[in-house]
Amino acid sequence: MTANALRRQSFAGLPAGSGGALPALTLVGLFFIVPVVALLLRSVTDPEPGLQNYAALFGSGTYVRVFFNTFLVAAVVTAVTILVAFPVAWMLAIMPPALGSIVFGIIILSMWTNLLTRTYAWMVLLQRTGVINRALMGLGVIHEPLPLINNLTGVTIGMVYIMLPFMILPLVGSLRAIDPMTLRAAALCGASPLQAFRRILLPLSLPGIAAGGLMVFVMSLGYFVTPALLGGTSNMMLAEMIAQTVQSLLNWGLGSAAAFVLLAVTMALYAIQLRLVGAKRLGGGL
Amino acid sequence: MTLPFLSIRAVRKAFGAFVAVHDVTIDVPKGEFLTFLGPSGSGKSTTLYAIAGFQDPTSGDVLLEDKSLLLVPSHRRNIGMVFQRYTLFPHLSVAENVAFPLRVRRRPDAEVKRKVADMLALVRLEKFADRYPGALSGGQQQRVALARALAYDPPILLMDEPLSALDKKLRQEIQTEIRRIHRETGVTILYVTHDQEEALHLSDRIALFKEGRIEQIGTGEDLYLRPASEFVAGFIGNSNFLPAEHLETENGTAKVRLADGSIIKGVKATHALGRGQKARLMVRPEAFRLTPVPGNASLAVEIVDTAFFGDRRRVVARTGSGDEIDVRPTSDTAEPGGADAASGRQIFFDPATAFLFPA
Repeated sequence: MTANALRRQSFAGLPAGSGGALPALTLVGLFFIVPVVALLLRSVTDPEPGLQNYAALFGSGTYVRVFFNTFLVAAVVTAVTILVAFPVAWMLAIMPPALGSIVFGIIILSMWTNLLTRTYAWMVLLQRTGVINRALMGLGVIHEPLPLINNLTGVTIGMVYIMLPFMILPLVGSLRAIDPMTLRAAALCGASPLQAFRRILLPLSLPGIAAGGLMVFVMSLGYFVTPALLGGTSNMMLAEMIAQTVQSLLNWGLGSAAAFVLLAVTMALYAIQLRLVGAKRLGGGL
Repeated sequence: MTLPFLSIRAVRKAFGAFVAVHDVTIDVPKGEFLTFLGPSGSGKSTTLYAIAGFQDPTSGDVLLEDKSLLLVPSHRRNIGMVFQRYTLFPHLSVAENVAFPLRVRRRPDAEVKRKVADMLALVRLEKFADRYPGALSGGQQQRVALARALAYDPPILLMDEPLSALDKKLRQEIQTEIRRIHRETGVTILYVTHDQEEALHLSDRIALFKEGRIEQIGTGEDLYLRPASEFVAGFIGNSNFLPAEHLETENGTAKVRLADGSIIKGVKATHALGRGQKARLMVRPEAFRLTPVPGNASLAVEIVDTAFFGDRRRVVARTGSGDEIDVRPTSDTAEPGGADAASGRQIFFDPATAFLFPA
């Protein structure tokens, strides 16, 4: 080992210069890891030691329905977000970079606006006597107000809007990496625009779709504000249920168990995705 | 008269006020290897893109077997193309890349399999069928691209500087491959390059582009031995241009006076020049011979530098008027310089191999 390499080794065996990460690591340790462990403990000790909280969670039709609904909403939101984001990402990828960064800035700008404000704005737009319904009735397109709020439609609209930047960002990266000449080559090979999309563009953008899709899905699973304000009682999501269990029912044990299940599912999904993308990289030469 | 196979008629491409291609007209017979040669920005690639359908010409027409291609979208033109950059599909194996044009044409599996095998044999990459493009060298990738472009038997193959990203040795190797493949398949090839050696090596005919126009079109020999302009003479091969004054033209040969005062008689008169008009005399470096004895069409020079290049020597000579001349005698001639280098020497050339262009 050279003298220089020796000097770069700190006494703790960490690379030199990693001391600056200490505050952030402390924060994560104190305010994330410790509470998560406390949560896990509480879910198996409150009100008494045992797995009765988990049994209650999976034994009750109501709670299982909330779980199912949570995954349904997350899946629908993810699918719709991918469909809406793809054309935008493609446009950004083929735009001149200067113009693209302006458009992208506008998209990012929406992320800096307060989440609650944006969700309330959707309430104003979507409710029975809201702007959209009144406009459509005024134009004579519909005669009865459309049920746009307090149901899956409302939650999907509100959440897709919030999730879009998280989908567009990884997708643009993925699409920018595709040489436009590759698509010209596909066209000269005889591929119609649809064939070129399905056989070339889509497979090549899969890593971006997977990365963005997982991010949106995981964020949607734990989303609270938007489903609570735009959703209905019949399609309550897990985060809302946890809040109710803890705040209204004061059942900390059950709430902890539900929160822990959500965390475990999220981590499992993440592990699966890592493996899938990793395997594809090895086999597909991407 | 038979109709030309591919006919490029008065194709013009303007980008705003800038005209990239000025009314280019070329007829290409079936099976020809035609190269568009020229410096970058001379309009050669733009002309090729008009044939491929990537850029619609502002005016003019492109006819294949007397039918216009312009209204046909790229994917229905049935043209093969190899690009400058590597454009293989990274998520498909070599075999699937070659199969791609057949798959989008919904050809039966058995035919696809047979054709892919034939094509990979043609470019000698049978052993690489299951590799992915990322695991191939640049030269191998371009050979796969060639196989992919030929898999559907296109009537025309377009090649847009396909070898420019490769090193010199590999370039020559693949040039030889391309010649063989052209011979074996008989496909009509339009090839774009800025490398004159590549153009000379590959082509039946060369169209030399300059500023959006074709300066001269002909065989490599035509362009080298009978250049139509100073630009052609300067672009193809190495040339010396000596300032000269045209004295008179008689019976198709001209008499000129060079800047050092020497009179050269018997230069081919290809351009009409007036008495006393300023001109430039072009002599190829290999046309000069070194000699210790003065004679006709000989110049007294001083040897400035000499270097050995295997088959040839390169000698830099300076005339009495200070013009430097590049001389390339074969290396079996005696090395110039030595004892009498300082005392000066003579170089001479056959005036019939020289060209006179208006200055």
